Amino acid sequence: MKKIEIGHGSGGRLTRELIERLFLKYLRSEELKPLEDAAYINLRDQNIAITTDSYVVRPLFFPGGNIGKLAICGTVNDLLVSGAMPGYLAIGFILEEGFPLDSLEDILKSIKETAQYAGVSIVTGDTKVVEKYKCDGVYINTTGVGEVIKPLPVSNVSPGDAVIITGTVGDHGMAVALSRDEFDIKAAVESDCAALNELLMPIMEIDGLKWMRDPTRGGVATALADLSESTGFGIEIFEDKVPVREDVRFISDMLGYDPLYLANEGKAILIASRESADRIVAILKKHPLGHNAEVIGNISAKFRKVKLRTKIGGERLLDMLEEDMLPRIC
Amino acid sequence: MEKIKDIIKLIHSLVPENRRIRIMNVCGSHEHTIAFSGMRSLMPNNLEIIPGPGCPVCVCPESDIINAINLSRKDDVILVTYGDMLRVPTQKGSIRAEGKNFRMITSPFEAMNIAKSNPDKKTVFFSIGFETTTAPTAAILEMGIPENLFILSSHRLTPTIMEILVKDAEIGIDGFIAPGHVSAIVGSNAWNVFSEKYGIPTVVAGFEAENLLFGIMEILQQLKNGNVQTGNVYKGVVRPEGNVQAQKIMAKFFEAADVNWRGIGHIPGSGLELRAKYADKDARKVFRLEEIKEAKIPGCICGTIILGKAYPSACKLFKKACTPKTPKGPCMVSMEGACNIWYKA
Repeated sequence: MKKIEIGHGSGGRLTRELIERLFLKYLRSEELKPLEDAAYINLRDQNIAITTDSYVVRPLFFPGGNIGKLAICGTVNDLLVSGAMPGYLAIGFILEEGFPLDSLEDILKSIKETAQYAGVSIVTGDTKVVEKYKCDGVYINTTGVGEVIKPLPVSNVSPGDAVIITGTVGDHGMAVALSRDEFDIKAAVESDCAALNELLMPIMEIDGLKWMRDPTRGGVATALADLSESTGFGIEIFEDKVPVREDVRFISDMLGYDPLYLANEGKAILIASRESADRIVAILKKHPLGHNAEVIGNISAKFRKVKLRTKIGGERLLDMLEEDMLPRIC
Repeated sequence: MEKIKDIIKLIHSLVPENRRIRIMNVCGSHEHTIAFSGMRSLMPNNLEIIPGPGCPVCVCPESDIINAINLSRKDDVILVTYGDMLRVPTQKGSIRAEGKNFRMITSPFEAMNIAKSNPDKKTVFFSIGFETTTAPTAAILEMGIPENLFILSSHRLTPTIMEILVKDAEIGIDGFIAPGHVSAIVGSNAWNVFSEKYGIPTVVAGFEAENLLFGIMEILQQLKNGNVQTGNVYKGVVRPEGNVQAQKIMAKFFEAADVNWRGIGHIPGSGLELRAKYADKDARKVFRLEEIKEAKIPGCICGTIILGKAYPSACKLFKKACTPKTPKGPCMVSMEGACNIWYKA
């Protein structure tokens, strides 16, 4: 009998297969079909984006954030990268019997602060409790809706476009991995967990902006492999342009991780026309969350898949994450 | 970058058109740099860079691991070893899955501490690896280890296995990139046998892509001009004589032994065991461990890969049944294993 494997939650190849072979078999709809971070719907002639996400991160508290902050940022960012202004959130909790109320309160404080910063109202919610050992402390689901400012369908993407990253890659994945205490490494890596409203809203107006994605599970490499698969275009990424924190790079080398596959929770990949790319980067750099923004590559019709041009000029294929070395990262 | 381009150009100009050249690296960290920098994509088609036996975890015999599992099941024993060893699959499962009292350590000094803080238990340090890990194990023996600490030595000798490979015409090695860390211990002179006896250029290299490219360039230059000798492009770290002090204490406590290499077989004089004088520290003797017959892993070609006779991608299990999460063979377990590196790169 085939069973669910941990890799089905990786956000990579297995997740995609599960969705395409099983979920879409029964749940296919026009709105769901693009399989983007949020769906566009039309309610009484109002264009709305809607998205939902569940959070199961382990540990619940990690340097730079906790599951509550993550649950707001993740959903807010999914709306933003879909070209929508986040408006309202619904939130659901699954709590384990025996979970300390103090910890729950800490999570709720973060939720309040983050929602305020992101300008979203939490307007409905749900709470369920399961028996001890039937879940791992707290799981959270958030659903968000927002007004579409600028639809950014993947069909916008065309050869010659530039690939932009808004900052250093792999911070969240590394911070959570280290906070699990499985490695005897002490480092000051914090999660980049952040709501990106202030960073991304100013660039929505720019004509050349075509598509966005927040590279969470599976990291930048998996998000780009996904984009390459859905557009049929090749993507070339220049290793020496990709911003990576010095400590993240060092520890990655030591542990055998590739920062391009580590999760991010406060970064966005932007696809923009070549002409607008420098202007977009200049605007991003003005915000503290975008200081390290860079053009890291380009879209090409000359090949398929995602190619990494290494520092020495070599070539390496970046495929979708096959298997999650760090499950439950968000 | 310009410098790197020049080296690559030179490498292209040095490879003769009419023959295939095979250069082997024997170090997991070298293979990591080569794979992750996409170095092979920059090489001429007829220049192969082959990963060789650079992963000590991969060659550790199944028998030793099963003995370690069994030791860890004894109530009065704590088995300690390096992290990767815990996950290596055997016919009896892995230490992590089937063992009972075991702990992961990152250095032999932790083994000392565990033994000291558990005086009522026998701590067994399953000490594996090439010369780089032998030296620190010898160092704790020199310092004097607690009475309740025992060594299960599964150390292997790099020069010995390399000499076996050189003699194997099927592999056909034209040059070696010698391992940087091992060379720091044994010294670059340890590789002289390859140039002097077999006419094979051997060049010690560091771990940066540029340094490795230099190493490859030097091998090709030697092949071209026929002036074959041991080279060293990692001079800041590796001396001709190596770390003499480390060699001394290694020789004091260990002697060469005829041992098995997983997936490869019995190789005379290629391992290290504690000298008879230290039998009271030798877990093999103290616990009367016996040799267990190795079971073949169906479909796994780790042995062939370690010998440089096949690339990981040639294995039917690679990326399918065998992944870093569900490793079938030892080369997929360790970060230094060729399969694990190729999976990620």
